[in-house]
Amino acid sequence: MKNKRYAIVLDTKRCIDCKACTVACKAENDVPVGRDNYRNWVDEEKLRGTYPNLGQSFTPSQCQHCANPPCAHVCPTKATVVSPDGIVHVIADKCIGCKYCQTACPYNARYYNEVIAAVDKCTFCSHRVYAGGMPACVETCPTKVRVFGDINDPNSEVSRLLAKNPSRVLKVAQGTKPHLFYLT
Amino acid sequence: MTRLLEKKLSRRRFIGVSSCALAGVAVGSQVKVLRALAQEGKVGAVTTLPTKDVFTSCGMCVNKCGVIARVRDGVIHKLDPNPNFAVKSRAMLCARGNAGTKVVYDPDRLKYPLIRVGERGEGKWRRASWDEALDLVGKNLNQIAEKYTRAGVVFASTEGTFQDHFFNQMAECYGSPNTLRHATLCLSSNIQGFSATFGTNPTPDVLNADYIIMSGANRSEAFITPDTIDLLKGDGGMRKLIYLDPRFTKTAAKADEWYPIKPGTDMAFILAMINVIVTEKRYNKDFVEKMTVGFDKLVPHIATYTPEWAAKECEIPAADIRRIARDFADAAPHAVYYQGRRSSFFANDTQMRRAMAILNAIIGNWDVEGGMIPNRSIAMTKHDYLAPYYDDIPGRLDADSVAYLSESDGSWSIFRDRVLEGKPYPVKGMMIYKQNCVASVPNRAKTLKMMAQMDFICTIDVTMSDTAWYSDVVLPEATYLERLDPPEVLGGIVPVVAWRQPAVEALFESKPCLWIMQQLAKRLGPDIADTFNFTMEEAIEHQCSNNPKILADLKSKGVYYEADKPVYGSSYGKPLKTKSGKIEIYSERYAEKGLDPLPVYSSPNVVPTGKYRLLVGRHAYFTHGTTTNNPYLHDIMPENTLWLHPQEAARLGLDDGRLVRVKSAVGEETLKLEVTEKIRPDSVYMAHGFGVLSKGQSNVYGVGGCDAALIEEKTCMISGNVAMHETLVEIFPA
Amino acid sequence: MHPIFQHRPSRKLWFGLLSAGVVIGIIGALNVLINGHAHVYNVTREIPWGILIATYVFLVVSSTGLCLVSSLGHVFGIEKFEFIGKRAIILAIITLLCGFGTIGMEINHPIRLGIYAIISPNFSSAIWWMGTLYGLYLVLLSGELYFLMKGMHKGAFALGMAGFIAAISAHSNLGAVFGLLEARPFWYGSFLPIYFILSALVSGGAIVSMIVYFNHKESGTPMPQKYEDFMGTLGKLQALFLTILIFFVIWKIIPAVYGHPPEKFEATMATLTGPLAFNFWFFEVLLGMLIPVVILLNPRTRTPGGVMWAGLLSTFGIFFMRFDLVVAGQLVSMREGAADLTNGLLSYVPSITELAIVIGAISLCLFLYTLAEHLLPLDVEEDH
Ligand SMILES: Nc1nc2c(c(=O)[nH]1)N[C@H]1C(S)=C(S)[C@@H](COP(=O)(O)OP(=O)(O)OC[C@H]3O[C@@H](n4cnc5c(=O)[nH]c(N)nc54)[C@H](O)[C@@H]3O)O[C@H]1N2
Ligand SMILES: Nc1nc2c(c(=O)[nH]1)N[C@H]1C(S)=C(S)[C@@H](COP(=O)(O)OP(=O)(O)OC[C@H]3O[C@@H](n4cnc5c(=O)[nH]c(N)nc54)[C@H](O)[C@@H]3O)O[C@H]1N2
Ligand code: SF4
Ligand code: SF4
Ligand code: SF4
Ligand code: SF4
Ligand code: SF4
Ligand SMILES: [Mo]
Repeated sequence: MKNKRYAIVLDTKRCIDCKACTVACKAENDVPVGRDNYRNWVDEEKLRGTYPNLGQSFTPSQCQHCANPPCAHVCPTKATVVSPDGIVHVIADKCIGCKYCQTACPYNARYYNEVIAAVDKCTFCSHRVYAGGMPACVETCPTKVRVFGDINDPNSEVSRLLAKNPSRVLKVAQGTKPHLFYLT
Repeated sequence: MTRLLEKKLSRRRFIGVSSCALAGVAVGSQVKVLRALAQEGKVGAVTTLPTKDVFTSCGMCVNKCGVIARVRDGVIHKLDPNPNFAVKSRAMLCARGNAGTKVVYDPDRLKYPLIRVGERGEGKWRRASWDEALDLVGKNLNQIAEKYTRAGVVFASTEGTFQDHFFNQMAECYGSPNTLRHATLCLSSNIQGFSATFGTNPTPDVLNADYIIMSGANRSEAFITPDTIDLLKGDGGMRKLIYLDPRFTKTAAKADEWYPIKPGTDMAFILAMINVIVTEKRYNKDFVEKMTVGFDKLVPHIATYTPEWAAKECEIPAADIRRIARDFADAAPHAVYYQGRRSSFFANDTQMRRAMAILNAIIGNWDVEGGMIPNRSIAMTKHDYLAPYYDDIPGRLDADSVAYLSESDGSWSIFRDRVLEGKPYPVKGMMIYKQNCVASVPNRAKTLKMMAQMDFICTIDVTMSDTAWYSDVVLPEATYLERLDPPEVLGGIVPVVAWRQPAVEALFESKPCLWIMQQLAKRLGPDIADTFNFTMEEAIEHQCSNNPKILADLKSKGVYYEADKPVYGSSYGKPLKTKSGKIEIYSERYAEKGLDPLPVYSSPNVVPTGKYRLLVGRHAYFTHGTTTNNPYLHDIMPENTLWLHPQEAARLGLDDGRLVRVKSAVGEETLKLEVTEKIRPDSVYMAHGFGVLSKGQSNVYGVGGCDAALIEEKTCMISGNVAMHETLVEIFPA
Repeated sequence: MHPIFQHRPSRKLWFGLLSAGVVIGIIGALNVLINGHAHVYNVTREIPWGILIATYVFLVVSSTGLCLVSSLGHVFGIEKFEFIGKRAIILAIITLLCGFGTIGMEINHPIRLGIYAIISPNFSSAIWWMGTLYGLYLVLLSGELYFLMKGMHKGAFALGMAGFIAAISAHSNLGAVFGLLEARPFWYGSFLPIYFILSALVSGGAIVSMIVYFNHKESGTPMPQKYEDFMGTLGKLQALFLTILIFFVIWKIIPAVYGHPPEKFEATMATLTGPLAFNFWFFEVLLGMLIPVVILLNPRTRTPGGVMWAGLLSTFGIFFMRFDLVVAGQLVSMREGAADLTNGLLSYVPSITELAIVIGAISLCLFLYTLAEHLLPLDVEEDH
């Protein structure tokens, strides 16, 4: 996957908070059931205004596949590694379960998976992507909030969306250089 | 504290033991199950089991979205959306669709036939062989037929499995006229109101409409494909969505304008819109003249229904009503007043739907792009059989109870009343298939009372629903991912044919409906057995015999369709299926039956201070009352709450998160309070599917409150649909 | 029965209590091994570090403190401090080992740590350095103890010097484990590494005061003048350390509330007025700092008993300082819309199992030390 840089672009205005992405991810990636166990999530933002003038937004998120990932810097055994295509992975066998990465990640993207006995997080469904597919959460999303692709390819849908629309990343001040882009 | 509790629960799930009396029935992880089966030689060893992709369709709700089941080593690993199904489902699967694997591999699923050993509802079961269980069912059905009449058994079922036809065939061949379907808990007033006007219940062309008014339909949470997806198209000001709902739902969050309409007053809003459009001559004169009857009677009828009058009823400012009416008419014909699907709102629901239909009619959006489109279908050969003839059978128990009773659907609540009265004749047996009536029919206590007077109840389900819990024999159907189901036409603007093929062999001893009916038929006599003398493959071949491409496409693409875009205008030039052949603004038929031929407004019952109207509505994560126990969906929302406006919470001195008792005339439930601005101060809301009675639903048993226990069963006397929003409740600290 | 267990009824009680504590800890540990972390701990994905990490920090801070204070004697040649050398070093080793044990119960795979820290080290990880430096520190401490026990003063000096440097590095690095987390503004920055060293001194002084006092109490003889003098000096030193600590605390708070810096402010307010406020004002401030300082600054209360009491109270307070520090840094959610927030904060209350392990670790510490006290020749006099 050389010369590729994977990213997800999200058009949150289309998000209806249906949580299909969350369940799809759990099923695809054998994420165990339980409150703490998920690789992606949809935050219900605080209700705006007062009755009857109300508004609400929904923000789906997951590991940002940071270009400058603090989780990898802090990992004592290099269990967290970054692929050349930008996907941040955890090598389960090397993970000692110190949870340092969990405290280091500014997005709360990681959880400890008891079944694989290691810290776990979104992998951009690399196993699907490398086999020519789409991440499970992207594929299933009813309203197509999520677009996945290679931002190094100027003709990809993600590149096109980022060129045409202004976008933001979460917690830019952290310097993590996230690769989840939110259209504004 | 809740976290501690959750941990305990998850621990219990981890061990995989459901605490109740079902414990005798072995449960375990799927791999363990497979290993055990492999050892018994029932299936191949785990490593020799197939890895394949199977086209099928979702069975989690009415939409039947296209699915590709990814089977790995004999285990369904993931359900992916079928891209070929985009015409209908837009190639998506919702949270419930994705949670489908857990239906198969749920420790709580039904595994073996069970025979009750304790009292009804006590939850003591004994595992039985299919032979023993079916013998018992057969014996009881024969006994009831003899002792009462064949009408003494009611066959209750709901759509969805594609095999419900076989169940209804059983009802007919057994000889009972008493079938109860979900329609009168759902959409029958809609069908009635629109059909009385258009001769059919059309579908709004959401994708192409520029202006949508949606009232009492929560499309971002109550999924109807493709509307749920297409509704989002409007981004950028191209499309306007006006949304009326007493609650601020996810649809409200996406709408351009949300009005927290006073429940039960939609008709006032609609009549006022008609008033504006008619008096300001904004209606489509050409269309009205050519295509409708009774407009002349409408004009004086709506004269007093002014926006100013309506504003007092529905609490939406007159200026807004006027503006919306004008914009709506201006956007015509690419404008729709979107009717919901579940129309079991108020007792006058049919007339309210009539008003909706009339409003749509006068702007001339009939059967044009962006308007109201009559549903199309795809021709298939009917599965037919020759039912035995019995000459001593009375008519439906609920016959003549309402103006338009559907012969096949009946009216659930009225039927229940008559069973309890024992008049005009006794009904002493229940066969229930894919319906959870204890949770889905209002006034749970009454349903249980009705069941208590039955001699025999058999439920065919995939999980221990509340209804199964109160049965005598529970039969495990193979889940939708384990079955070969006959093709079914999903009608709509763009109709498709869907079907199901098994992704894996049926686990444990679960069996498909057809097999169960065939085995049962043998026990009911040769005449009945003869009608079931075919295989599923034969039934499918027969159904597709008029068009072999259907089966070929189903096999190769998982879907069949003839057009991938809407076809408009096909209804023009032919008479509509109404009495006049035209769109009936004024209904001659209703007049003949002594019903209001034009919708007459009546105010809903008043909500006194200190009482609240209980509202019913969908959640995107659950289908009705049963999927709350699905482990994946349970993770998203483990418990339901009672929504209450902060102003009222303050008045009652109740804090967010505390337990409250909610009391109606028919029941009382305890659940947590959620203080939120997302609801009108005079209404409360709780999600359906909690407060279950069945301990076989180990994740949700003992959690939250049950709405069906509180709702009173008022009924629409035109369609027989129940009215679920007429219930008032009081709230007390628990 | 071994003679040390039957010396006096109070000693029996002491050993009985500690054994009970150790048993509680063992039960807790077994519970973890049988049921798995997730089922018996209350740490969550949002608050992954709980009271076990706090206890670990408490124990290794104590270890470092003991090493630093004892080095005043045999490294920096302050004679008054020399006689506590062996005791301090042995307790430093014990607290360090118990600290490792505690964090071992929090880390899911301590064995993988051993393997991959060596074959796949990440030099940018403060936890890797923590393991390495504390490992080195343990080796040096053990050597130092060996030389001290053999009376080889030169060796002890050399290793003591090295141990001192290792202690400072390891310990400031422990501060950096937290201080390098940019995601956690409450911890982030150079403050914690420095603060950790100062607070180690306070811990060390407090524990030494207790060692000396109880050792004599136990022998039943009146305290010789030499020891009384030592306690006086230690008391003054402690007063100095504590006063500086108070300034550290104040200056940690002021910038954190001054301009309401995001997240840092919320976490600080959680300790000042929020869920950790009682811990902070009662245990940290009153018991841990104010009362001890008052005792120690007043010459009339700066008796050996007073100094001991001050030490005991500070040690108590310091435990809560560690807990509050670890927890407060995680109370602010990393996500605005996260569920389960009360007043905008996450919450963490240790589980019974977590508490059991903490009790076990501290009991084991005291148990081993008391044992060492009785089995090993630790009195300096005997060396001469
Ligand atoms: N309080 C309240 N009541 C309502 C509603 C509400 O919103 N609130 N909604 C109303 C509406 S619109 C409707 S349509 C009805 C629906 O109500 P029902 O028709 O009762 O439908 P469900 O509640 O979905 O129950 C379906 C049952 O079928 C079982 N089942 C699922 N799959 C299979 C299968 O493959 N085979 C078999 N044999 N069984 C299966 C499920 O386990 C469940 O027990 O409820 C109505 N009642
Ligand atoms: N996720 C999910 N999707 C589903 C289903 C499901 O169970 N789950 N069920 C399917 C079925 S069977 C059906 S019938 C459809 C139902 O789909 P819908 O017809 O959209 O039904 P509800 O979700 O019940 O939405 C009714 C809404 O009306 C509001 N309401 C209540 N009283 C009034 C009133 O007086 N006036 C107005 N304007 N609004 C009112 C309620 O607050 C609620 O939000 O959904 C289908 N899709
Ligand atoms: S699947 Fe799409 S619409 Fe649904 S919650 Fe996730 S991002 Fe939002
Ligand atoms: S989001 Fe968190 S886990 Fe993902 S790369 Fe960034 S820091 Fe690491
Ligand atoms: S928990 Fe695992 S992945 Fe995270 S920092 Fe520790 S070793 Fe690395
Ligand atoms: S990309 Fe894959 S792993 Fe990541 S959140 Fe989506 S489904 Fe989960
Ligand atoms: S809307 Fe969801 S539950 Fe319903 S059929 Fe489609 S995927 Fe299945
Ligand atoms: Mo329905």
